Order: sequence, then C-alpha cells, then structure tokens
Amino acid sequence: MTQSPTLSRRSSPSASPQPRKSRRRGTDARAGYTFLLPWLLGFIALTVGPMISSLYLSFTNYNLFEAPKWIGLDNYATLFQDERFLQSVGVTLNYVIFGTPLKLAAALAIAMLLNSKRKGQGFYRSAFYAPSLIGASVSIAIVWKAMFGDAGPVDQGLSFFGINLGGWVGNPSMTMPMMILLTVWQFGAPMVIFLAGLKQIPADLYEAASMDGAGPVRKFMNITWPMLSPVIFFNLLMETIHAFQIFASAYIISNGEGGPAGSTLFYTLYLYLRGFSDFRMGYASAMAWLLVIVVGVITLIFFKTSKSWVHYSGDSK
Amino acid sequence: MIDRRKFLTTVALGTASAAFLSACGQSSTAGQTGSAENPVTINYTWWGNDDRAERTRKAIALFESKNPDIKVNGNFTDFAGYWQKRATEAAGGGLPDVMQWDLSYLRDYGQRNQLLDLSTVKINTDAFDKSLLPSGQIRGKTYGIPTSTNAFAVYYDPAKLQSLGVAEPDGQWTYKEFNAFMLEVGQKGNGAFYGGTDYTGVWWMFNIWLRQNNIQAFTDDGKLGFTKDDLKKWWNTTAELRGTPALVPEERVTQLAPKSAMGSNVTASEVTWDNFMAGYLGDSGAKELKLVPVPSDDPDNLGLFLKPSMLMVASAKTKYKDAAARFIDFMVNDPEVGQIFKTSRGVPASKTQRDGTTFEGTDKLVVDYEKSIEKYLKDAPEPPIVGFGTLEASFKRVSSELNYGKLTLDGAADAWFKEAEDLIKQNA
Repeated sequence: MTQSPTLSRRSSPSASPQPRKSRRRGTDARAGYTFLLPWLLGFIALTVGPMISSLYLSFTNYNLFEAPKWIGLDNYATLFQDERFLQSVGVTLNYVIFGTPLKLAAALAIAMLLNSKRKGQGFYRSAFYAPSLIGASVSIAIVWKAMFGDAGPVDQGLSFFGINLGGWVGNPSMTMPMMILLTVWQFGAPMVIFLAGLKQIPADLYEAASMDGAGPVRKFMNITWPMLSPVIFFNLLMETIHAFQIFASAYIISNGEGGPAGSTLFYTLYLYLRGFSDFRMGYASAMAWLLVIVVGVITLIFFKTSKSWVHYSGDSK
Repeated sequence: MIDRRKFLTTVALGTASAAFLSACGQSSTAGQTGSAENPVTINYTWWGNDDRAERTRKAIALFESKNPDIKVNGNFTDFAGYWQKRATEAAGGGLPDVMQWDLSYLRDYGQRNQLLDLSTVKINTDAFDKSLLPSGQIRGKTYGIPTSTNAFAVYYDPAKLQSLGVAEPDGQWTYKEFNAFMLEVGQKGNGAFYGGTDYTGVWWMFNIWLRQNNIQAFTDDGKLGFTKDDLKKWWNTTAELRGTPALVPEERVTQLAPKSAMGSNVTASEVTWDNFMAGYLGDSGAKELKLVPVPSDDPDNLGLFLKPSMLMVASAKTKYKDAAARFIDFMVNDPEVGQIFKTSRGVPASKTQRDGTTFEGTDKLVVDYEKSIEKYLKDAPEPPIVGFGTLEASFKRVSSELNYGKLTLDGAADAWFKEAEDLIKQNA
C-alpha cells in the first residue's frame, strides 16, 4: 500500500506543508482503494476465483454433481482425438479468418465515407452505428434466423434475381456466410474508432499530396493507412479476440445445437454443450483454457508483427 | 470539523460494508409450511409449448385456490434448453422445488442425489398401475411419479390423405409397406407436403425396432446391447427414401425447429409419441389427426410399450417438502387436473384421474389407441443409463448428418458408437 503512487490528486487550495503531504498521500491511496473495493471484490470473486477453479477443474473429471476426480492431462489429451472438437476449431477459425477482416474493411470503408463533410453526417453516423448497439442481443439473432429462413426476405430477394438458394439457416454450406454477414453488419464499434482515428490525420497532408498530384488510392496507401495503423492494429486485435468468443448468435440460430450438420458448432458453443448438456465440466474447462492460451499466443504474434507495419507518431520510421 | 477526505473514506467503507452485510443477510431461515395469510412459494418448472403452458397455468390456479397456504411460481422452456438450465441450477444447488421430468434424465440426477426420494413424503400412489411405478424408481428409491403414459404411434392427417386420394392406413404394416406409403404421399403431395420425417433418426423408434428383433437396447450392467451392424441395418431402413419426396429434407426440419414438420403442415405423417396430439393439432390447425401402430416385420411383436410420458420430481434440497408433495399429488391424482390436460401430457397414469376425465374427440383417439395396442404391450422400460439424454441427442444429431449426406452410413455408425462408448466409460 505504501509504495503505491497512484491516485495522487491535486491538493486543495489550502495546500499543506511537506510533512503532511506523505500522510495525505496514504489517506488518498486508502480512499482510492476503498472506492475500488466493490469492483475489486467483484473481480476477485467473479472473475479471478472462477478462473482459478476452472484451471483446477480442467485437470479433473467433473460432472457437476459429484466431487471432481483428478485425472491429470487426460482432458487435454482427449481433446485432439475428439472429432467434434476438431470440427469446432475448424468452424471457429473459418469465422475468425474470413469474418474479422471483412468486418474491419466494412468499418473502415464506412468510416471514410462518414469522414467527409456532408449534410446530415450526424444522422448517418448514428444510423450506421445502430446495428452494433442491438447486434449482440438475442432478438437480432432471432430476426436474422427469420430473414435467412425458407421464404424469408433474403431467399425471396435472391429468387427474384434468379438465384435459388432456399433458406440459408438449414443449409450447412450457407450458415457460415450468414454468420459472417451478421458480424460484418455489426461494424459499428470499430467504425467509431476508425472515424476518431481518421479525424486525427492532419488535413494538410492530404492537401500537400493533392498538390503533388496523388490520386485517392495513393493517398490512402501512403497517408491514411500508415497514419491510421495504430488504430487498425487496435481494432484488428480486439475484433479477432471478439470473434473467437462468438456464442450467443450461434446458440440462437442453431437452437443451441450447433447445427445444421455441425456447421455452426463454434468453439464456445461446443464448450457449453460439453459442460452443460453432457455434464463434462472438466473437459469444458480444458477447452476454455486452451482457448485462453491460443488467443494469448495469437495476441503475442500480432504484437510481434505489428512492429513492421504499425507506425506511432514520433516514430523515427 | 470533518475532513472532507475522511468523510469520503467513511462513506465508501460504509457503502461497501453495507452491501456486503445485506448480501450475507439473505440466508434467513424460512419455515417449512405456510398459512393462508402467509403462504409459502414453491417453484415449478416444465418443458412444452404454449398449449401446455396454458393448461399448466390453469392447473396451478386451481391448486392455489384449493391450497391457499401455497403459491406456485411456474416457469417453462422448450425441451432442449430445459436440460441445460437444470444442469446449471443443479451445479449451483438451486434446482426448482418441483419439476416435470423425463425418463431419459432420471438416472443422471437421481443417482447423483439431486432428487428427493418421494417415498419419504406423502403422495398417494394407490391408483397407479403397479407395473408403471418402477419406471420412476432407482435402487429402491422413488425419484419420480409418472403423470401419464404414452406409446409410440404413426400419426397421419386424414384430410391431407383424402385430398391426394391416398387410402388411410390400418396400421398393420411392415417397414416396406410403411415406406411405400410415405413415398406415395410424397409423390402425390408434389412439393406441397412430404410423406413424413426420417423415423430412423428417433432413438425410441430404434428401441422399438430392437425390441421387435428381440434385442435389448442396454444390458443390465449399463452397456450397449446392440452392435454397430444392428445400427447400420436400422439406418439403412430408409436409405432408399432419402432424397425422395417421401421424406422432408433435413434443411426444412432444421429451419422449422423448434416446431415439428407435422405441426408445420409440411408432412402428412409422423412417427412419435401419441401424447403429441394436442401439440400437433394446436400447431398445425388440422381438424383431425389419426393414430395407428408403428410398422413391424413381425405382426405378433410390435415392440410397443407404455412409457411414463413424464414424471413429477422434487429437488432433494427443497425447503418445502410438504408443499412439494401436495403439489405433485394434486398434479398426478386430481380429476380436475385430468380435465385440464386431457391427453396432452399422455393418458393419465392414475386411475382416479383417468376415470375423472372425459375424453372426447381427438383425446378419445389417444385413449382408444392405447387401449387398442394393449395386447401388444411389453414391460415399461427401466430408467435408462446415466447420460442417456446425451446419447439420445447425439443419436438425433448423427442421423441428421447422415441425412445431410455429411456422413456415410459407416461413418455415422462409427461416430455414434464412439460417442456412446466414450460416455459409458466416462460415467462408469
């Protein structure tokens, strides 16, 4: 407690002499931690505690009802012989690899459109942001399911153009495009961040480039991209981590089963089914920890590679 | 003078500890029984559609008016979500006081001490058929009381058959004849509707087929009683129908879920439990549906049996054993409850309730059907093995992948056997 330098607040007008100051700092810290206490208690009880116990459970055979039995690394070993597990990894990687870049591209494109000065931009910004406010909710997954079902608006619209795909929801090869469309449509959060980033780029850079005869592509490649790279990096990281955790929409659209034919069996959905349908909580915990490790490694790789393409202002590069 | 900082610290500490203390104060010691002025509240949960929810609400209202010292707080979901919820609650030690239960999950929870031994409380079972009660018993303890019985049957919609000019079946048929019937319906239905759904994806129909061939589904020591070849032979029964109008495509079935194909008017026949009548009628709006026995290649052995369609159970941890017992007794024995549910839970298991219920129209069809198959009935199944609910679900999933063409026959049989053996080993 004593060494914590945090929360030093500008002192009140009646500034006190030196000796009191350190005592004050102690009280400040105490007050700070006290205010932090509700959050800290919640964090320890609801996040750290369960995480530690799930780490323990991942080494056990635990069926929710009886005391867990220690089985060492068995859960981790059997994971890789479980075809459903491998399927869920495939489905999730597909979603992350295709969904995330598309979502970011959409977010960046819309952000650039909204960055120009035009009448009613405020309205458009809100309108484009709206889907991501409601997007994560259960209701929108239900709407999505109805839209892409047999004779739903999407099916009818495509049929009008002579494309007869039938309902996407029941077709194992169309569910992934549908899930990716759903995530791309929720581009609002990264878009807002991109927009803020775009506003930081000095306009004179573009003016100078125009004077030198640079076209829009050139300006994007040589000004927007490098200037925006820290923001792109941030969004890429957040959205990738986010994509690995997809659960609710898949759960709703497949009635909690990961169907049709396992095409929406996302990692977290299979984890949930293992834990709560099959009563294999130890196995589910092992899956959870494997996900934590994999996401951690991917984040690390992102940070390593970022040095070559992310430019921070003040960098010599 | 109060220092501002000191004041803030005190407030913060005070708020935090107040929240902490109030959280601790929750564990009050509630009494076991209530009174009319101060009723106890028990939680009751069930699975089912809107039709059942409406009937259950009526039954609860009736119970509360007769028992002013007990309030019942009802809650329901669909079948699949139901078991995930129960698992979560059981893990947290918070199962509802009284629950509608399925035979498939009785061992999972009963053997693991999650359910109350109902022989320790007062529930009248005098009016029950003695051969039915063992279905709710495990190792000498009574975990569930059957509300009602159901049996497997083939449903068909006479109006649809008539519109196509297809003769109504009499239920004396082999698998070949049944398949031919579905194909005829499907071909004449010409896209408007299909013959039926792929019945080989239904575990209980497989179980009936095994019984018809004198094979036990599970051995007495909880292992599989049939071979991979048996399973392949079974799944092959409809092989030539897949991809024809005889069977509704799996794509459609998936999209209609949680509604059934029959309830959505997409098929003209369906093989399932006879107590789905009310639900199907409500969902489809059909005027009438009829029931005939399932096909069998041995006309003397239809493999049929009466199963408790559902059971009433109580949580082992309920604080209101007496109230829970009274509610269960009411739900299974009261004639007025029979009048409310008719056959929508199945045919009432308690004679008191059955005799007090007037069955008319389609309800009479269900009761008559169960009477008509009486001479074929064999013993009710014992509570299946631990983890059976998972096996049943994976049976459905694997056969659906077979229908999608994602798995070959061999691949499907391998996949299911691997999961089943893995699960049996896990729970041994």
